[in-house]
Amino acid sequence: MAVGRMHSIFDPASAEAAAVTRLWWWMFGAGLIIWLGVAALAIRAATRTRSAEGSPDIVRDTPALGRRLERVLIAGVLATAIVLAAVLVYSFAVGHALAQHDAQRLVIEVTGHRWWWEVRYTSPDPTKLVTTANEIHVPVGVPIQLRLQSDDVIHSFWAPNLNGKSDLIPGYTSALWFRADTPGTYRGQCAEYCGLAHAKMAFFVVAQPRAAFDAWLADIANPAAPPTDSVAAQGQTLFMQRGCALCHAVAGTPAGGQAAPDLTHVAARGTIAAGALVNTPENIARWIFDPSVIKPGARMPAFHLSNGDMHAVVSYLETLK
Amino acid sequence: MSSLGDEAAAGTLDARDVTREADALEHTWRDRPGLWGWLCTVDHKSIGRRYVITAFAMFLAGGIEAALMRTQLARPENAFLGADRYNQIFTTHGTTMMFLFAVPMMTAMGLYFVPLMVGARSVAFPRLNAFGYWTYLVGIGLLYVALLTNHAPDTGWFAYVPLSESLYAPGHRVDVWAQLVTFTEIAALCAAVNIIVTVFKMRAPGMSVHRIPLFVWSQLVVACMIVFAMPAVAAGSTLMLAADRAIHMQWFIPARGGDVLLWQHIFWFFGHPEVYIIFLPALGMVTPIVETFCRRPVVGYGAIVMANIATAFFAFGLWVHHMFATPLPELGDSLFTAASLVIAIPTAVQIFCWIATMWTGRPRLTVPMLFVLGFLFTFINGGITGVMLASVPFDRQAHDTFFVVAHLHYVLVGGAVMPLFAGLYFWFPKFTGRMLHNGLGKWHFWLFLIGANVAFFPMHILGLDGMPRRVYTYQASTGWGPLNFLASVGAVTLAVSVVIFLVNVLRTWRNGPIAGPNPWGAPGLEWAVASPPPPYNFVHSPVVSSAHPLWETSNALPVMTGLRTDRREVLITTTFDARPDARHSSPRGSIWPLYLALCMGVLFIGSIFRPYWVLVGIGLSLIGLFGWGWQSSRPIERERIATPNGAIVERA
Amino acid sequence: MTSLRAEDTVQDLPTVTFGQRSLMWWGTLGFMVIEGWTIALLLVSYLYLRQSAGAWPPAPAQSPSLSMPSINLGLMAISVIPAMFAARAGQRLDEPALKRWLVVLSVVATAILVLRWWDFEALRVRWDANAYSSAAWMIVGFHSSLLLLDVLDTIGLTLFLFLRRQPVKTFSDAADNSFYWYFTVGIWLPIYLITYVGPRVI
Repeated sequence: MAVGRMHSIFDPASAEAAAVTRLWWWMFGAGLIIWLGVAALAIRAATRTRSAEGSPDIVRDTPALGRRLERVLIAGVLATAIVLAAVLVYSFAVGHALAQHDAQRLVIEVTGHRWWWEVRYTSPDPTKLVTTANEIHVPVGVPIQLRLQSDDVIHSFWAPNLNGKSDLIPGYTSALWFRADTPGTYRGQCAEYCGLAHAKMAFFVVAQPRAAFDAWLADIANPAAPPTDSVAAQGQTLFMQRGCALCHAVAGTPAGGQAAPDLTHVAARGTIAAGALVNTPENIARWIFDPSVIKPGARMPAFHLSNGDMHAVVSYLETLK
Repeated sequence: MSSLGDEAAAGTLDARDVTREADALEHTWRDRPGLWGWLCTVDHKSIGRRYVITAFAMFLAGGIEAALMRTQLARPENAFLGADRYNQIFTTHGTTMMFLFAVPMMTAMGLYFVPLMVGARSVAFPRLNAFGYWTYLVGIGLLYVALLTNHAPDTGWFAYVPLSESLYAPGHRVDVWAQLVTFTEIAALCAAVNIIVTVFKMRAPGMSVHRIPLFVWSQLVVACMIVFAMPAVAAGSTLMLAADRAIHMQWFIPARGGDVLLWQHIFWFFGHPEVYIIFLPALGMVTPIVETFCRRPVVGYGAIVMANIATAFFAFGLWVHHMFATPLPELGDSLFTAASLVIAIPTAVQIFCWIATMWTGRPRLTVPMLFVLGFLFTFINGGITGVMLASVPFDRQAHDTFFVVAHLHYVLVGGAVMPLFAGLYFWFPKFTGRMLHNGLGKWHFWLFLIGANVAFFPMHILGLDGMPRRVYTYQASTGWGPLNFLASVGAVTLAVSVVIFLVNVLRTWRNGPIAGPNPWGAPGLEWAVASPPPPYNFVHSPVVSSAHPLWETSNALPVMTGLRTDRREVLITTTFDARPDARHSSPRGSIWPLYLALCMGVLFIGSIFRPYWVLVGIGLSLIGLFGWGWQSSRPIERERIATPNGAIVERA
Repeated sequence: MTSLRAEDTVQDLPTVTFGQRSLMWWGTLGFMVIEGWTIALLLVSYLYLRQSAGAWPPAPAQSPSLSMPSINLGLMAISVIPAMFAARAGQRLDEPALKRWLVVLSVVATAILVLRWWDFEALRVRWDANAYSSAAWMIVGFHSSLLLLDVLDTIGLTLFLFLRRQPVKTFSDAADNSFYWYFTVGIWLPIYLITYVGPRVI
C-alpha cells in the first residue's frame, strides 16, 4: 500500500516529516514574496528613467538624497535581518523539537553495505535477534530509533515521507528517529554517493498496525522451513554447493554468510536487489544469472546456471517466506 | 634616465614627447617575436588573456559534460551512459567547473584588469604569474588525458573518504584528482599573492584605499580568501588523501585511529570559501557595469567594501552546513545555521546598493545590464534556497538531493556566470578593440536566462520528491521522468545560447566594429588607455584624486613622469596613501616559469605512479630555480638604495 | 588622445629598498602566511585526531624521544644569530660582513637539515602504523620541505653574492632571506611542542 506521493516531502507520513514540511511551506511562502518584491524593485529601478544613448552627464547625489538612500539601505538591511532571525528561531524550534525523544522506542539497527541495507531487530533475548535486508517493517504510532552504521563507505538513509536523512559513516554510529502515523509502504534511497551502484540502493519502510507488525516480526524470527518440494530441495542443495551460502545466510540451514543480504525470508519481500527489481521468480532468475547487468559493479558474481538448475534454485528461494 | 628633462616637472606634456616615450616603452615592454616570445611572455595582459580563454574553454568542456549527463538523465533507465562512465563524467564536470573554470576565470580577469585599474604597468611578480598559468595548464592536461583514457576520477569533485581511499577506489583515478587539485591550488595561490601585492604596493599615486575601484576591492578580498582556503584543500588532497593512497598513511582509516569526518571538515573548510571566491569577483564586476550604464557612482561604496570583507570573514565560518546529515552535536549545527543566515546580509547590502544606484541613475539596458538584471533574478532565487538549506531540519530532507543541485546552479550560474558574461561583454572592447554584436548578445541573454531557469527550476521539485544526487539513472516508477526531461530541454537551450555567444566572439574578434579607448564612457583607469592596451599599459603613471578618475578629469589626465624607458620599471607606492615610494625593476620574458611548471608536472604526476618521481621533479626544479634566480640577479649596475635608517646611497 | 599633465617626477626614487617598501618582502610574507597556515591546519588535524583517540600515542606507537629533537631545536635557536647579523650587514650595505654571516648561516642551516634525519627517527614509529604516526610524520615532513627550500635559498644567495651577481640587490634579498629563516625556525616551535612534547602531556 503506497501513500499519495511516494518518497516525497510533500506527503509526510510521520510527525517529524510533517513538522519539516510545514517549515518548508512557510519558508517557501516567505521566499516567494521576497523574490517577487526584489524582482519588482529591480525592474522598476531599471526602467523608471531612461538615459539617452551616449548621454555624458554623470548623476551626482545631493546630500539630501544621500541621506535618504542611507536610510533606505538601513531599512533594507533591518528587514533582511528580521526575516533571517525569524527563520533561525523557527528552524531551531523545529530542530529542537525533533531532537526530543521518548525513552520508549523500538530500536532497529541498520548497517549500510555496498549496495544494500542490512537490518537487525534487537531484542534483550539474543535468540530473538532478527536479521533481514532492504525492507524495514515498523509499527505505526511507535517511535522508532534507527541506529545507523556502515560496513564500508559513507551511505545515507533517506525516506522522505518519514524524516530527513542521516549519513552512515564508518567509525561512527548515528541515529535517526521517526514515528510513522499512517500505515503504508515508503520508499527511500541511499543519498550519499557510494560508488558504481549508488543509484540502485533503495529500501522500503513498511509501516503496519501494531498487531500486524508483531505477527510479522514473530514470523521473521523463525528459521526457514525445510523445503517439501523435491525441486526446491534440489535448489537448496545447489544453493549450498554453488557458493551462495558463502555470502548469504538462511537461518536454520548451514548457510551463514555475512557478506550479503540475509535470505531467510526473502520471498516475503516486495523487491529484491535493494529495490532494483520487483520480487518475482523471473526477476530472481535474471538477478542470479548476471547481477551486474541490473546493478553495475554488484559484488555478487554471475551464476550462469542451466535452466533446470536455475528453476530449482528459484523454487527453493520462493519457499523462503 | 627620463627623456623629458626638467620641463616635465609641471605642465601639459608635449604630444610628440609622449609619442617618443610610448615608442621607447613599446620597445622595452613588448614580447620577443614568434613562438619563443609567446612561451616566455610575462606580460600580465598576454597571460590574463590566455587564462581567460583557457578558462572559458574549460567552461565549454564542463558544459559538454553536463550535456552528456542531462542526456543520460532525460529518460528513466536510459542506456546512453553506463554507471562507470557517468560517474567519471559527473566528477569531471564538478571538478572542471569548480577548479578549472570558475576560480581561474575570476583570477584571470583580476590578473588582466587589476594593474590597469590601479594604474600600474604590470603585476608585482610577472614570472610567478606565468608560472601559475602554465601550472594550471599542466593540470588541465592531466585531467583531460585521464578522461579520454578512462582514468578520470569518479568519486565526485569532493572525493569523500572512504570511497576515495585505495580500498574502494583502486587504480589511479583518484590520484589524478588529488594532483589536479595540487596544480590548480598552486596556480590560484600564485594569482592571489600577485593580486594582493599589486594592490597593496603598486597603485597609482593618489589612489588611497577609499579610491580603489570596487572590482579591485573584490579581487583583493578574494585573494586573501584564497590564501587561507586553498591550503586546506591542498593539505587534504595531497598531504592526507594522496599520502593515504600512495604511502599507506592512515589519516582516514577508522580502524587505525583515523577519522572519516576529518576529510569533510578539511575539504569544506576550503569548499565553502571556494564558492565565495567564485562569487565575490563576479559581484565586483557588477559595480563598474552598473555605474557605467546608470551614469552615476555606485550608492554605498563604503558599504560594499565592508560587505565584501564581512562576506569573506563569515565564509570561513559556515563549512559545517555541508555536514548537517552527519552525526555532529546539535548545538554546533545551530551555530553554523546562524552563521549561514548572517552571511546573507552583506550580500543583500550589495544588491540593495545596486538597485538604489539604478533607481537614482539613468539606466541604459545594454547587454551587460541585461545580464546584471538576469543575475539579480536568478541569484536571489539561489540565495533564498540557500537560506532554506541553512535550516538543519529542512537541510536533512534536502541535502544530497537535486534540490541542492538546483540551489548551487542558481547561485553559481546566476551569481557568477551571468555577471561574468556581463563583464565579458563590457570589457570585450578593451581586450580586443572591437565591439560585440548587440543583437546576438540579446539572443544570448534571453536564451541563457530561459534555459537556465528551465534547466534548474524543476530540480527543486525533483529533490523534494526524493531524487538524490549523483545517480546515473532512476526507475520509471519514481515518477521523476517528466521533470528530468524538462531540465534536459533547458540544458539544450542553455547550450544554444552559449553557441550564439561563441559565434559573436569569433566573428567580432578580428572583424567587428572598432572600439576606441572608452566606448562606454566608463570611469575606470583601464578605459584611459588604448583598446587593446599597449604592453606597458600607461605611458606615465596616472595620478588619481577620486574613485572615478575618468569622470573627474575632463581635460588633461594628471600623471607622474620619471620611470625609465630603457628598462622595465614600475612604480611602487605606499600601502595606504599610495604616495610614490620607489622604482622597481620588472623582469623581461623568461622561459623559467614554463620550465618550472613542467617540473611540477613531472613531480606531481610522476608521484601518482612511483614516489621516486618526487625526487626527480625536485632535482629538475632546482635547475629552474637557479635559472630564475640567475635571471633576477642582474650584472653590476648602478642602483639607488634606500637603507632602513633613511639614507639614500648610490652604489654599484 | 587625452592630453597628459605632469604633476611631478619619480625619477629620483630609490630602486632598491628594504622591508615592507620592497615587493620581495611582501612576496616572502605571502609565502610565509600560506605555509604557516598549512602547518596550522595540519596541527589542528593532529589535535582533532587526538580528541577522538583513547591512549595517545595509540599503540604500537610510543612517545617520541626528546633528545635529538631538543638538540636540533637548540641549534635552530642559535641559527637566528647569524641570520640576524646577516640581515643587519645587508641593511648596512656591508659586503664583507654579509659574506661572512651568510656562509655561517649556510653551514648552520645545512647542519640543521642533516639533523632533521634524527628528528624523524625520534618519532619511533613508522608513518603507516596509525593515524597518529601519519599526522606526526606529515607535519615533520612538510616542515622539512620548507627547511630544505630555505637552506637551498640561503646557499644560493651566498653563491650569487660570491659570484658578484648584483651585490646591491643582494643586500635587500639577504634581509628577506633572514626574515624567511626566522619563520622556518619559529614555526618549528609549535610543531616541536605539539608533536614531540605533546604526547607526554595531552
